[in-house]
Amino acid sequence: MTTLKNKQMSFPELADWVISRTLKAGAGDCKVSLSRRRSVEINYRDRKPEVIKEATTQGLYLEVFTNNRYAGQSTPDFRKSTLETFITDLVANAGIMEEDPFRTLPDPKYYEGRSDTDLQLSDPEYGKLTPEERHAMTKSVEEACLSKGGDKVISVEAGEYDESYEEYVKTSNGFEGSSKSTYCNVGASMTAQDKGDRKPAGYNSVGCRYKSDLPPMEDVGAEAARRTLDLMGGKKIATTKIPVILENRGAGRILNGLVNPMSAGNIQQKRSFLADKKGTAVGSSLLTVIDDPFIPRGLGSRYYDGDGFPARKRSLIADGILNEFLVDWYYSRKLGWEPTSGSLSNVIIPPGTRSLEEIIRDLKRCIVITDYIGGNSNTTTGDFSVGIIGKLYENGNFIQNVAEMNIADNHMNFWNRLVEVANDPYMYSQGRFPSLVIDDVVVAGI
Amino acid sequence: MKPIPRRKFIRGTALAGGALLFLPGIQGCGFAGGCPSGNYFLEEFGIDDALISRLLSKALSRGGDFADLYFEYTVSNYLGLEDGKVNQSYGDISLGVGIRTVKGDQTGYGYTQELSEESMMSAAATAASLCDMTAAQAATSFSRPQTGSYYPVPDGFDGIPAQSKLPVLQQINEKCFSLSPEIVKVNAGFQSSIKRILIATSDGIMAEDIIPGGYLYSSVVAERNGRREQSFWNLGGRRDFSFYDNDVINEVASKSVNNALKLFDAIQPPAGEMPVVLGPGITGILLHEAIGHGMEADFNRKKTSTYSTMMGKKVAEPFVTIIDDGTNMNLAGSINVDDEGIPGKKTVLVENGILTSYIHDRISAKYYGVEPTGNGRRQDFMNYPIPRMRNTYMLGGDATPDDVIKAAGNGIYVEDVSNGQVKIGEGDFAFYVSQGRMIENGKLTSTIKDVNIMGNGPKMLANIVMAANDLEMSRGGAGQCGKNGQGAPVSFGLPTCLVKSLTVGGTEQKGGRS
Repeated sequence: MTTLKNKQMSFPELADWVISRTLKAGAGDCKVSLSRRRSVEINYRDRKPEVIKEATTQGLYLEVFTNNRYAGQSTPDFRKSTLETFITDLVANAGIMEEDPFRTLPDPKYYEGRSDTDLQLSDPEYGKLTPEERHAMTKSVEEACLSKGGDKVISVEAGEYDESYEEYVKTSNGFEGSSKSTYCNVGASMTAQDKGDRKPAGYNSVGCRYKSDLPPMEDVGAEAARRTLDLMGGKKIATTKIPVILENRGAGRILNGLVNPMSAGNIQQKRSFLADKKGTAVGSSLLTVIDDPFIPRGLGSRYYDGDGFPARKRSLIADGILNEFLVDWYYSRKLGWEPTSGSLSNVIIPPGTRSLEEIIRDLKRCIVITDYIGGNSNTTTGDFSVGIIGKLYENGNFIQNVAEMNIADNHMNFWNRLVEVANDPYMYSQGRFPSLVIDDVVVAGI
Repeated sequence: MKPIPRRKFIRGTALAGGALLFLPGIQGCGFAGGCPSGNYFLEEFGIDDALISRLLSKALSRGGDFADLYFEYTVSNYLGLEDGKVNQSYGDISLGVGIRTVKGDQTGYGYTQELSEESMMSAAATAASLCDMTAAQAATSFSRPQTGSYYPVPDGFDGIPAQSKLPVLQQINEKCFSLSPEIVKVNAGFQSSIKRILIATSDGIMAEDIIPGGYLYSSVVAERNGRREQSFWNLGGRRDFSFYDNDVINEVASKSVNNALKLFDAIQPPAGEMPVVLGPGITGILLHEAIGHGMEADFNRKKTSTYSTMMGKKVAEPFVTIIDDGTNMNLAGSINVDDEGIPGKKTVLVENGILTSYIHDRISAKYYGVEPTGNGRRQDFMNYPIPRMRNTYMLGGDATPDDVIKAAGNGIYVEDVSNGQVKIGEGDFAFYVSQGRMIENGKLTSTIKDVNIMGNGPKMLANIVMAANDLEMSRGGAGQCGKNGQGAPVSFGLPTCLVKSLTVGGTEQKGGRS
């Protein structure tokens, strides 16, 4: 892209120019975020490329603060001539808003103390990835899935996606931050022929900051096929109260319903069932949730958050006790609290000692939940209800695949029945959760 | 690649948006039918026929069946109210062109945010890289299809200015608090966008459109005896500011308040299989999830949909007719022209119980040897088009709503739903009931809430045993259908109807409720 035609301005130069123009246009304070993303995507089906897609995008997001009035806007157009109008329009736009004394840039003292650990977010080898390699990776994933899927395969789609991303953020009151990252993802989805018209589809998708951290392509494809074959014959059983195991990779789907109400926005807006629960138990003593921004190559690792606060490792829930809320600058001011950080980085539940297999063997009858469908969770009341897909075991023996069933509960009861944490944290996600065993769950079916 | 083989519908309070408020005047479509002309991209960005032809030739420079260009300029703006103040304004500008080369069912795609010939040629070269043959011919002259005008805007319409939104939000806030002393928090938001598109294809079609969009919502929290409940309502669609009058403001405010208050008496229904009556309107999300996605032709072409073997066969009772329609006035899923240059149409998917058509884009229409149905849609210029629903609904029957409820005997009645999801291959779907009622002995009784309902699409379709004469279309504007990572506004509708049996995901085993 050669957007900055007259003069190739670097991100810091452009940010300085925008800040100076914005203040000149009448803003009291402002924050500018610049980003650029280069991405490539390749999909294969029937052993030929189905999609080849490639592009570079860029964005400028400007926020202005004028006499306690606020407006923010993004544009992909970095030309100075159009930015001039963009800036004056945005400042005018902020001027018509109602006054909100809490809407300011953070006190600069909260910008201090940023770590300079190397988080290794950008793969030095990234630029060497060739189109040929991308095709080869995708083909390997596809072949492995086709081969493992055998005569059950109706269709296999395999794909590779990679990107490099850079951002630069600067405020008029002293914050400056930048980061570069890379990401490489491979995966496959398979549709299989089951009995009658049922065609279960399963998938496996794995992403890492460094391409060299990806598992072998053959394993990625074979796992997609294995997960699809695991869905064959899935049907509902009679409604029952039973221990369930939330498989590691999907556990976040339920855990999110407990974490979202921890945000100060939900608390201040009276939409959180956890508002008065700080320092009290919200789960069994086995429930510990940690926010760790410093994991090298972590998908959620970072140096600073959206407010510019330095990243900090923190324990959100420790041994079942709710320790800390997610408090950003704006709601900290509204609530009169100290800010913590309003957003999450890598979310971790420390692993237990036993494997999933050992746990299943010891449970008389249980369902391992491998996927979810639909559902929602009410932040105000803690009630949730979600469809599940999984596998039924008795005394360690696989009995059948289950589908079209549902679990419903309230978070304040559900996590109290967390009875074991497995030793298998899922590594290819921002949420590194092991499989979790919850006792006495009503699973609705027939 | 994100190979997630399921489709989601999220009726969110999406806060995307942001906005340039003052744009140069445009050549709008008038109120009179048809939008065959319009030269926005020529006048603003110098995109003329010769340049378009050069780009299409580049896209076909290594061969291919056809190529197309999709220019987009969208300006959106959101204003939000919280704690009595209109204190948030977010805006977004999306500008660029997506260039596609198609060979059989293969797609090469490049896009750029910069409308210089150099950048666009480079994107065309990316698209062309799919092929490795001799060049194919691209059109040098273009004809504009005659289209309907399903969301006319006044001449010179340039989006809804932030100044106009401010008093609307203040009114919503006042109205909500005035309706009940139990309301403790009100959030309200007004999202709007104006999207201008130009499509040009290598087979000589050129189409332009101006698409207004947006919604007004309120989300309230009520408190009674220390307990809290929340509720959300929105109205919108492809509309200009004239839609957002006092009636709309009152409806948004009163629906959100009244629904929240009703929840204080709500219970969780029993779990298990039971008859389910769907109230009219927004419950049409059920059609969208259970049936609509499975009829999207890309899944059928790949044989991954449960409906891929059912064309021409009986899939429902004879009174069931299901339509996917781009021609409804001002609804969120209406389209004058789809994102491949095909005029918006009304497509009958199921006629008197027989499956009659899939939902097609150009690739699938060619595969099946049928006319495109005008369902080739994309989120924006960064994405290539795929078959997508528009406004999906079922025609009404002869019964009265009371008859339908009575016929259910004991079961549940669904009033409001917030989201849904389907697994295409299995046909299994779910939708989340934010509010409903128990049906006991043929009568509506206790309010119920927060329950997921599950079923299997083809089975559910066959199990629709009764429909009332009260088809209602959802007038929401916040609804987004997600597929392959692309969002698209849609709407739907349903008459009150009875499904013989679905799985209700309550918290107690059947019979366990006192």
